[in-house]
Amino acid sequence: MPWYLYIALRHLFPQGRRFPVFTLMSLTGVILGVATLIVVISVFNGFGYEIRSKIADTFGDLRVVNGGLLGDPDGLAEILESKESVDTAIPFAQGIVMVLYKNKPLAPIVEGIDVRSDREVQKYGNYLLDGSMDEFDDDSILVSSGLAGQLGLSVGDEVEMYTPLMMLKLLESDGSDVLLPRLVRVGGIFQTGWQRVDENTVISTLRLMQDLYNLGEGAHGIRIELKPGFETEEEGREITESLGRPYYAQTWMDANGDYLSIIKLEKRMMFFLLFIIVIVASFSIMSSLLTFVIRKTREIGLFAAMGATPRQLAACFCLQGMIIGVAGTLLGIGLGRTLLYFRNDITSTLSSLLSVSDSMNQIYGFAYLPARVQSGDLIVISLLSILIATLAGLVPAYQASKMNPVEALRSE
Amino acid sequence: MSSTLIETKKLVRRFKSGDEHIEVLRGVDFCINVGDTASIQGESGCGKSTLLNLMAGLDQADEGGIFWNSEEISRHSNQVLAIKRSSLIGMVFQSYYLVPEICALENVILGGRISGNTDNLAERSKSLLQRVGLGSRMSSLPSTLSGGERQRVAIARAMISDPKVLLADEPTGNLDEATGDSIMDMLQELCEEKQVSLILVTHSANYAARMGRSWVLRKGILEKNNGQMIE
Repeated sequence: MPWYLYIALRHLFPQGRRFPVFTLMSLTGVILGVATLIVVISVFNGFGYEIRSKIADTFGDLRVVNGGLLGDPDGLAEILESKESVDTAIPFAQGIVMVLYKNKPLAPIVEGIDVRSDREVQKYGNYLLDGSMDEFDDDSILVSSGLAGQLGLSVGDEVEMYTPLMMLKLLESDGSDVLLPRLVRVGGIFQTGWQRVDENTVISTLRLMQDLYNLGEGAHGIRIELKPGFETEEEGREITESLGRPYYAQTWMDANGDYLSIIKLEKRMMFFLLFIIVIVASFSIMSSLLTFVIRKTREIGLFAAMGATPRQLAACFCLQGMIIGVAGTLLGIGLGRTLLYFRNDITSTLSSLLSVSDSMNQIYGFAYLPARVQSGDLIVISLLSILIATLAGLVPAYQASKMNPVEALRSE
Repeated sequence: MSSTLIETKKLVRRFKSGDEHIEVLRGVDFCINVGDTASIQGESGCGKSTLLNLMAGLDQADEGGIFWNSEEISRHSNQVLAIKRSSLIGMVFQSYYLVPEICALENVILGGRISGNTDNLAERSKSLLQRVGLGSRMSSLPSTLSGGERQRVAIARAMISDPKVLLADEPTGNLDEATGDSIMDMLQELCEEKQVSLILVTHSANYAARMGRSWVLRKGILEKNNGQMIE
C-alpha cells in the first residue's frame, strides 16, 4: 500500500483511538445525501413504474390504427394474433359522448371494449370499486370513479348518452327530428390508479359503441398485448412495417409521451435538487480537510523532509476525500436500502403518529409506497458522490502540496 | 563518484522582516564527505536550522549553490528534489515529529515507505527499533512514549531509509542530560555502524566536541570552532 494511502486511512481511522469527529461528520453528510437520493429516486422510479404499468394495462402494449375506421377489425385482429410476439389482438372503438344525469352534463371519453375477450373483461373487473362485470352488457356502462363522483352516480343508476353523431343528425334535420338519447345503466364504477383514465372515462361494450357511432362492424383500432420478453417499440416498428400504410402501430409510450416525459423530468429535477445535499456535504468535507491540513502542517513538513513529493502529499489529502466519498456512499446505499425496505412501516407509523389518513391510496390508488431500485441510478449516484467528495479533497490537497516544508516544520 | 555528499558554496539567505532584509547566512562554505561527522554551533536564531534546511533542499538560497553528490540542486524541481533527498538525507528534529495516529513500528516503517526503500521493511524496522532499545515498545503510540523514547523512534525512522548523511537539528534539545547523553551515544554508534555521515546542530559543546569537525555560525559566517563557549 502506498504510504500516502496508508496515512490517509490512519488520519481518518486512527489506531486505538476514538472515532474522530471530523471523519464522523464528513461521513454522515455523504451518508445522508446518498441515502436520501436513493430513497427519493427509488420511490420516483416506483411511482413511475406503477403508473407506466397502469398506462400499459389500460392502453395495451400497442394500438394499431389507420387514422379512420377499420372495416374488418376481426380479420386484422386475426392477422395480428398470428404473429409470434402478439398475445392478444382485440378491436376497440373510442370517442366522446355527452353523459347527462339529473340535468348535469359531462363529456367523457368512451371506449368500447370487446366483451368476447375474457382478458378485457377480467382487466376491468380487477379495477371495479363497485358493481360487477356480470352486469356489463350492451345496455350498461362502466364509469370511472372521477366521473361517478362528479355526477353523483351509483351502480344501477340510469344515464342518458348523446353522441356527436346524434347532434349532427339533429343539425342536418329541418327541425322535425327529435333527439332521443341512449339510456344506459351504470353497471360498475372502476378506478385504475391512472388519473387521466379515472377522471373522465366511460367503458362500454364494442357493440354499444358501434351502435352509438354508427360504425357497423367496424372499429377504430386493435389493442395488442405482447407476449412477455418482446420489446414494445421494436414490435411496434415491425407491425407498422409489415402492415404497411395507412396502418400504424402506436406504442403506449408514444400515446402518453407528454405524461411520461413529465415523470422523467420530475425525477431528473428531484435528482439535481437532492444532489445539492451531497454538494453541501462535500463543502463540509472540504472545510474539515482544510482545518485538518492546518492541524497537520508540521506533519506535512516532516513528510517533505523525509522525501515525500508534492504529488504524494496532495494524494494523501485528496485520498481522504475519496475514502470519505467511497465509505459514505457505501454506507449511504446501505441506509437507503434499509429505509426502502421498511418504507411502508415508516409511512404507516408516520401516518398514525401525525393522525393523517392514508392519502396514498386515496390519491394514487396505491395501497403501499412503490419503490424500485435501479442499478443505473445507483451507479450514477455512487460515481457522482465519490467524485464530488474527491474534488472536495483537492483544495486541501493543493494547499498541502504547496506548503513550504521549512515553514511547515516551524509552525506551532 | 565524489566522496563529498553535501557541499554549500557562498550560501546567502535573507529573510524579510518588515521593510528590512536580514541576512542570516552570508556566504557559507561547507562540505561533508562520506563517513564524516560535523557539528554546527551558534547562538539561538543565528541560522543553524536555516543552514540545515538549505542543505536538506527544503529551503532555497538567495545566492550561492548547494550540491548533493557534486550536483547542483537548484535546477531540480521539487518533485525530483524530494526523490533525491529521500535516498541521500535523513533528518532528526528536536521535536521528534512522530505521526501520532500510528505506533512506533509504523512510524519507522513509514520512513522506509516514503523513501521508497521497502525491501524487507518490516523486519528491518523491527530490528532498528530493537537496536535503539525499543524492542518492547514497538506497538506503543507516540503519546505513550517518553521524550527519549520518541527521539529513539525518530532516529530509527531517519535511519530506515539508509541515508548517506544524517542531519540532526538539536536532537537532545528537549531531553534531560542523562537521556540526551544516551541518545547521542546511540546516534553516533548507529552512524558509525552504518557508515552514515552526521551533521549535528547543537548548543552543547560536549556533543560538538564528539564530532570530527566542529563549526560555529556567527553573524552569518561559518567558522571553525576555536573552543570558545557558545551561548
